[in-house]
Amino acid sequence: MTLLSVDGLAKQFGGLVAVDDLSFGVESGEILGLIGPNGSGKTTVFNCIMSIYAVTSGTVRFGGTDITDDKTHQIVNRGLSRVSQESNPIGSMTVRENIELFTFPNSVRSFDGGASDEAIASYAARVDIEDALDDDPGSLPHADVRRLEIAKALATEPDLLLLDEPFAGLNQTEVRQLSEQFESFREQGITMVVVDHNMRGLMDLVDRVVVLHNGQKLAAGDPADIVGDERVQDAYLAGEVSAVQ
Amino acid sequence: MSDREQTGRSIGRLVGRVESVLRDSALPQGAGVVGAVGQPAERLLWPVAERYNRTLGERFGEVTGLQLLLLLLSFGGLVTAPLWGQDYLRPLTLGAVWAVFAMGWDIQSGYTGYISFGHSALSGAAGYTTGLLVLHLNPELSLFVTVPLSILATTVLGLAIAVPSLRLRGPYFSLVTFVTVLLFYRLTKALSHWTNGLRGIRVDVFTYDLTLQYYMVVVPMLAVAATLTYVGRSDVGTVLVAIRENEDAVSAAGVDPTKFKLWSFVLSAVPMGIGGVLLAHVNAGVDPQTFVIVDNSIQMIAMAVIGGMSSILGPLGGAFLFVGLRDVFLVGLGEELRWLALWLLVLLVLVFARDGLFRLLWRALGALGGDRR
Repeated sequence: MTLLSVDGLAKQFGGLVAVDDLSFGVESGEILGLIGPNGSGKTTVFNCIMSIYAVTSGTVRFGGTDITDDKTHQIVNRGLSRVSQESNPIGSMTVRENIELFTFPNSVRSFDGGASDEAIASYAARVDIEDALDDDPGSLPHADVRRLEIAKALATEPDLLLLDEPFAGLNQTEVRQLSEQFESFREQGITMVVVDHNMRGLMDLVDRVVVLHNGQKLAAGDPADIVGDERVQDAYLAGEVSAVQ
Repeated sequence: MSDREQTGRSIGRLVGRVESVLRDSALPQGAGVVGAVGQPAERLLWPVAERYNRTLGERFGEVTGLQLLLLLLSFGGLVTAPLWGQDYLRPLTLGAVWAVFAMGWDIQSGYTGYISFGHSALSGAAGYTTGLLVLHLNPELSLFVTVPLSILATTVLGLAIAVPSLRLRGPYFSLVTFVTVLLFYRLTKALSHWTNGLRGIRVDVFTYDLTLQYYMVVVPMLAVAATLTYVGRSDVGTVLVAIRENEDAVSAAGVDPTKFKLWSFVLSAVPMGIGGVLLAHVNAGVDPQTFVIVDNSIQMIAMAVIGGMSSILGPLGGAFLFVGLRDVFLVGLGEELRWLALWLLVLLVLVFARDGLFRLLWRALGALGGDRR
């Protein structure tokens, strides 16, 4: 079943075309890689899906419902959550409170509606930061701050996770651990789209790849086929073969 | 490095040192005598605090023994004021009215981060609604009619300012509120055939019994304090702080920041309405100089800053301290010197104790109690 479908998506900033007539679908249960060099429009696609940006044209459907004009919080409540490239925990709150915020109901009459301590600890445990719950986010190492971002997204109980450059700044061991955690998320029923400019970390993780170049879809298919695709190598990689191998 | 840069760094170091001295002096390590008295007192009070924490702590915030003692002494002092402070009932009554204003300002500006320079327009709206109703409709109108209508009018004005300004952030929002209060001030004069201009409108006092009048102000003030403390400690308060810190993160959490911002404006406007009505009846009238003038908005901010923004009880304490200094302790200095001293105090707190004096005191008491929580 197609969980997310993007049809004819376009986004212009003034005269600049950031995304141009892009269409792709995400099947329930799969991990899709959305790759492309810096500036190819990957993050803009995520921003359009999440309604951070209003689209210039095109539609975004989630679970069969048109969510193009929904507001960000409505999209999140439908079961779509995004982990940004930038970490933005609230410094004045502990790790626990940062996660708890993502469990609050969208109601001004809810005074005590957040998740229980056990539930918050379980979100943290899914990314191995359960020992840091009472810490300030500012005192965490980079990898744990990134894990906190993922725990926050998990706390919204998503069906689909959009992960924007989740491996940036992590070392080899951390990349491997995180990949294993993404695999376990999939086993728990979460579908994922992973954005990266570099395919190396994604090769073993993703089922399928969509390649973006200058805001357009250049290629799509199995990771192995994409690595061998001459158009991808010539146009997108501009000779940087090492980036895919 | 240029001379200017060097001077800048030296000043920065000096400020840092003063800050750390201030911080240390508030902690028990630097205050042996305080520690010697405080720690046994804390041990004595802890069982009571523990019981409070078990029952009310989750709703209103957990406390140490000494913090609970401060709350109980303040509460007891306020409730028994007519017994020990007959000579000070007028400033205490005004302090309570301004505490309502400072707390109302705090829930929107301190918590949500939408800094208003124009909250005296809101209290003015309440005062003028009461005034206009008794002047033009019926001088005998019951408080049961004028009070709800005045609070409603304030809420409507609060939303009328807020809704078009929602997209504005930071200084632009503040400028809108600032211009609004200037506009409101001019309107009260321009519409003088309705408002009596600078002369204002006479309103009956609640009562000529100062003790009774004091309670008629302190009881609503305590109700506002309890309600806003509860809201501030709840999920709603957390979301408001999150909006201040990172509005996008709130959307990403599936929570509608617009809805919560509007709610914080309502939570702010209602106390401003209550305070405005109280002030009109305490002052026996409403006029532009005592109500609307922008200086009043700045005084509300000053009270919140002195006490400690985004803490509700801090601005409450700040209001009593500010009014106490203004109307009692610094009166001997004369009009000009008194205001100079007051604004200098605000400046010093802003530079050296940005979290506010009452939060500093609260933390010091907490530190004396050890790290139990």
